[in-house]
Amino acid sequence: MPKILIVDDDPDMVMALRMPLEANGYEVSVAASGEECLQQIRVIEPDLIILDVMMETTTSGFQVSLQLRSPDPESEYAAYRHIPILMLTAIHTTTSLRFGPDEAYLPVDDFVDKPVDPDTLLKKVRALIGG
Amino acid sequence: MDLSQVSDRLASAAAKVLEADAAAVLLWGGAESGPGVAAAHGVAAEALPLTDSREARDVRLPVAELEQQALPPGFATGLAAPLRHDGQSLGALHVYRSRPAPFRPDEAGRLQALAELGAATIALAQEEAHLERVEASKAQFIRVATHELRSPLAVAQSLVRNVLKGYAGALTDPQRDLFARISGRLDFLESLVNDLLDLAASRAPELAEREEPVVVNSSVGRAVLLLLPRAEEKGVALIIEPCCEELAVRASEEGLDRIFVNLVGNAIKYTPTGGRVTVTMSRTEEEIQVRVADTGIGIPAEALPHLFEEFYRAPNARRFAVGTGIGLSVVKELVERYHGRIEVESAEGQGTTFTVTLPVLGAGSCRL
Repeated sequence: MPKILIVDDDPDMVMALRMPLEANGYEVSVAASGEECLQQIRVIEPDLIILDVMMETTTSGFQVSLQLRSPDPESEYAAYRHIPILMLTAIHTTTSLRFGPDEAYLPVDDFVDKPVDPDTLLKKVRALIGG
Repeated sequence: MDLSQVSDRLASAAAKVLEADAAAVLLWGGAESGPGVAAAHGVAAEALPLTDSREARDVRLPVAELEQQALPPGFATGLAAPLRHDGQSLGALHVYRSRPAPFRPDEAGRLQALAELGAATIALAQEEAHLERVEASKAQFIRVATHELRSPLAVAQSLVRNVLKGYAGALTDPQRDLFARISGRLDFLESLVNDLLDLAASRAPELAEREEPVVVNSSVGRAVLLLLPRAEEKGVALIIEPCCEELAVRASEEGLDRIFVNLVGNAIKYTPTGGRVTVTMSRTEEEIQVRVADTGIGIPAEALPHLFEEFYRAPNARRFAVGTGIGLSVVKELVERYHGRIEVESAEGQGTTFTVTLPVLGAGSCRL
């Protein structure tokens, strides 16, 4: 069963994401902050990370993606570099963001627009990790 | 002209007219800020002795010779005229001579006349600066407030969509109907909040200050990429025909992105399932054109003249989708800020084409 780590500090948004994923057989874990995400990633070794870009904690989703995708071979997260990242965002707040799996600016694989449509979410998750 | 430009011109004009070696504009400032040198011509601003005595602020004071201690070092004589407007003392206009040649009464009269004119202009510039500050803080407030509104709204919409798609169990028909109504209302709130955010952002002064060369192709590409999921979800084909070369215009990246996200987003919104939205780019010697063409519901001829007015929505648009009528007025404001223009062609029931024309930065050899 593919494992997904949701990183979001809003429990209601977590619920909205969790429902369709669990209903479709994904195993879901939750981290409420960027720090928690970086800790949990070693324990859970998820197949996919869903990351909220606008968390109000010290380590934002933006920083987490940069840390995970650091091109430095010595990076402590080098082993997790390959995990796909789906970034949760709102079009109106990210109009100037550049992104792509290997972009230095915002290294994520795809976006999910907020508000989240469960069918769109599932389609993007399947495209990245199957299941 | 802003306050510092007005003050600079006044100081240099005073020095010239009075055949003085230096001149300065001193402004008393508000209650909380002390007196300051608004402009210094022929003398370093730091060298000017600042007086803020009660009598200096007396609006009835006539033009007067400056006492020795009120002169900057190296000057032998000076004349001061009060800058007053509407019964208020704004500051003083000083002229200084390094030779010990006292000012004649006719020269004092000329300084007085110049000070009266200058005071009116300074008062106007001060008022304008004040209004700009008010406008900026208003825009900032709306930005923060809108972000705070967006977040819980997006969560509520996401939860309701889960319910409607059956992830919280099977729904009875009346339940489905009620949740669909809730969802519709939330969608309307979302478009309202997004438009307010656009409006506030387009008026924020930092947007104007951040103008730099921006590649139009990338901006259009980002807008299309971001809206592709929405088009797919709706069953509308979104096609981009890119230009052969990178074309830069002078704009702010955020502002330019807003223009294209709005236009492409609108095109998708007002095009029924099965339709098509095509984005094309072309250039002439001096201009770049971005065309966003859709096969949507179109705009009635009588609605076209009002299309860019704030809050205006064509009757068929009202029936077709929720919205606020702010988006296009923001787009027009931004396009014009970047010295461009926007045109629209439309036939009701057949589709609409918006064309944004912007002056291109630097000349290229390639043409489409």
